[in-house]
Amino acid sequence: MLNIKTIDDATVNQRVYQLNLGPQHPSTHGVMHLLVTLDGEVVIKIEPIIGYSHRGHEKMAENRIYEQFLPNPARMDYLSGMIFNHGYCMAVEKLCGIEVPRRAEYIRVITSELNRIASHFIGAMDYAMGLGAITPFLWGWDDREQILDLLEGIAGSRLTYSYGRFGGVRNDIDQAFYNGTRRFIDRLRGRFWDYENLINQNIIFIKRSKGVGVISKEDALTYGVTGPSLRGSGVKYDVRKNEPYSAYPEFNFEIPTREAGDCLARYQVRMAEIEQSLNIIEQALDHLPPGPVRSKVPRFVTPPEGECYLTFESARGAVGFYIVSDGSRIPYRIKVRAPSFSNLFAMTKICPGHFLADVIAIFGSIDVTVPEIDR
Amino acid sequence: MKTSNGFILYIQEILTGAKSLAVGLWITLKRLFSPIVTVQYPRKKLTMTPNFRGHIEAIRFDDTKTHHCVACGLCARICPSHVIKVQGEKTKAGDKKIGRHYVIDFSKCSHCGLCVDVCPEQTLKFSREYELVYYSRWDTVIDLMQRLEERP
Amino acid sequence: MNITQLPYIKDIFAFMGSDLMAAVIGLLIIAVFVPLNVAFLVLVERKVAGHIQLRPGPMEVGPHGILQTLIDAVKLLGKEMVTPGMTDKVLFFLAPILVVVPAFVGWVPISFSPIMQIREMNVGVLLIFSFSSISILSILMAGWSSNNKYSLIGAVRAVAQNVAYEIPLLLSTMSVIIMTNTFRMSEIVNAQSSVWHILYQPVAAIIFIIATTAECNRAPFDLVEAESELVSGFHTEYTGMRFSLFFLAEYTNMVIAASMATVLFLGGWFGPFFPGLIWFVIKVYFLIFVVMWVRWTYPRLRFDQLMNFAWKVLIPIALVNLLITAIVLKVI
Repeated sequence: MLNIKTIDDATVNQRVYQLNLGPQHPSTHGVMHLLVTLDGEVVIKIEPIIGYSHRGHEKMAENRIYEQFLPNPARMDYLSGMIFNHGYCMAVEKLCGIEVPRRAEYIRVITSELNRIASHFIGAMDYAMGLGAITPFLWGWDDREQILDLLEGIAGSRLTYSYGRFGGVRNDIDQAFYNGTRRFIDRLRGRFWDYENLINQNIIFIKRSKGVGVISKEDALTYGVTGPSLRGSGVKYDVRKNEPYSAYPEFNFEIPTREAGDCLARYQVRMAEIEQSLNIIEQALDHLPPGPVRSKVPRFVTPPEGECYLTFESARGAVGFYIVSDGSRIPYRIKVRAPSFSNLFAMTKICPGHFLADVIAIFGSIDVTVPEIDR
Repeated sequence: MKTSNGFILYIQEILTGAKSLAVGLWITLKRLFSPIVTVQYPRKKLTMTPNFRGHIEAIRFDDTKTHHCVACGLCARICPSHVIKVQGEKTKAGDKKIGRHYVIDFSKCSHCGLCVDVCPEQTLKFSREYELVYYSRWDTVIDLMQRLEERP
Repeated sequence: MNITQLPYIKDIFAFMGSDLMAAVIGLLIIAVFVPLNVAFLVLVERKVAGHIQLRPGPMEVGPHGILQTLIDAVKLLGKEMVTPGMTDKVLFFLAPILVVVPAFVGWVPISFSPIMQIREMNVGVLLIFSFSSISILSILMAGWSSNNKYSLIGAVRAVAQNVAYEIPLLLSTMSVIIMTNTFRMSEIVNAQSSVWHILYQPVAAIIFIIATTAECNRAPFDLVEAESELVSGFHTEYTGMRFSLFFLAEYTNMVIAASMATVLFLGGWFGPFFPGLIWFVIKVYFLIFVVMWVRWTYPRLRFDQLMNFAWKVLIPIALVNLLITAIVLKVI
């Protein structure tokens, strides 16, 4: 019954078959196609086929003024839309030399870190769901919901915020947001015990993740893996520390790393980063400077001729915005370096030799967003 | 010696595993009796935050009892999706233009709020409607000025 | 010569007189009870899952959604039964029919209360085990005939898993059987009138419940349908009523497994204050609740870990347990 015609002639006689995971599959996080070559249940080769949700954001940028591209970055990685939004603003500000008020920088940090927590919750809990535990996934959504409520309170939107503006943010944060964030931090700290014991200490979870999908330090650097996946392999690289931007140098936080490089390490890094993000938010709320949240910026920015590259840390890794300006109001070219793309293709190296169930686990632990890969 | 060590590890693994599983069961049992967090949507509704960004709407000002739109067209220029069409006319020569028709198709709108930011007269705001379901695509094409007049 | 004096004829008449009537009535009761029970259990499952996940579960159809599964069943009845191309049509058609047979037959020897038992059999326990093995055949048929790689992987997993887990299941049952010296369900229950077997055999009881969970393909052993890997496993290609027959069989097998555990370890119908049947039902539904609770708590095992767990943990422990039981019985 196996459809062996799709394999080339040399392997027809072997007991090898191909399985299409996706484009529609419960655990491919969107429209993503993994062509897996299997021997029994053991993976021989894995080939990610991307492009199903390509919307041409980079081409769109060449046809609109800088302001009009503002909603787009959030649609690339919809799970960390706030971070992408601020990142694009920072890139344009760097290109034009726009000063940002300190209060706006702080607000950007707070909202970015809240967004990072929300995204890490999905990343970590979706990994648990890939292993078959549905309950922690929905608890994670419950906690994420609190963040979305907070961000909705200031930005007015729940997923694609368009909150950043050139030279600051759209509107100031209010007391309700301030108090709500404090409450959220306390609430979340009280729930770590549950997550730790339900997922992290669970023997089945440990058995499923320990030693599975090990990305060695060399492989991670070769494939350009960034973000929690890189830090799970023991490389202490975080754009927030190594190439500081915005107000991050003013805060005191750790970069959690794990040496193992397996799925468990990546999961642990994500959960540890949530705690670090909470620390950053607390410090930012404590020392929130007064002042305006938006500097005087012309209604339509006109950057000088030139180019700029700005890299920042999204929830998935280092994102780069490369903007080339020809001196007009319309960008000549915007190139986005998406971390999910590099992280995904590390799978081709680490998956062979694992079971089919591990492919889902590895895919979940790397935590890619498909629209970001395809853009 | 080595084998007995392995045996102890084997027993230890079973015991710690069983303990972790029991703790997991205890955690879910606690949640089983904790209150639910979801909202039964059509029966109960959440109140929208004041900052909620629905589609845009014209503001009625108290001084003129109407909007301040001068049909400058900045919103139409900045709109990323090109969904805004403004038409104005001058009541008498030399006077400012007044917006007569402000048509948006909010089914294509990405709710970014650029038009509200850019408006020099600040006569635009976000509506707080979120139940935007219609039978026809043409129902999503609305004239803000007409809505302003119809609204009490 | 009076023909009624011939022994075998007399046996036939006796059979037709009382036992046949009992069997017919009993089977009718089963045929009515099983689908209703499954409808109830699906609702309970969704409610348990919902409340563990901090949401209310189905709420719309009827008060607190109690009619939801009936509506779902009506919907499934109305659906088209799609047979994909290139399938093995005969097997594809037969598999869902075959899967419900053990689910119905398994009820026959279970003694719900001293008077409620369809047919007392010398080998009641064995009958249930042997029939439950048939359901694996139908899962294999379904997976093979679907012409779908996901289904085939699921079916192959199912067979390996069930072969592995029947051994600890039977070993743990054996430690009860050698205590009671009978395969008759009612006699096993009667042996527990003072002390339940779970107090004598706690290890065997836990192994039994784990192994039956695996036999019923419930989480965390649901590799057969592992929705995050295999979409829906062996019934990926099934639609409509055929799909719901698999569903029906899954939940009915759960009830049979819980009834077996009740009879073997939890003292069957014995309990204070209430009549026997009520105690039996309480015990069965409590066990089912535990199985559901477990499902919504743990991640899924991987296939090799599942096998390791059976062969390296459950079977040795069950064997040791059986050995100790035998020695203790011999000494006493």
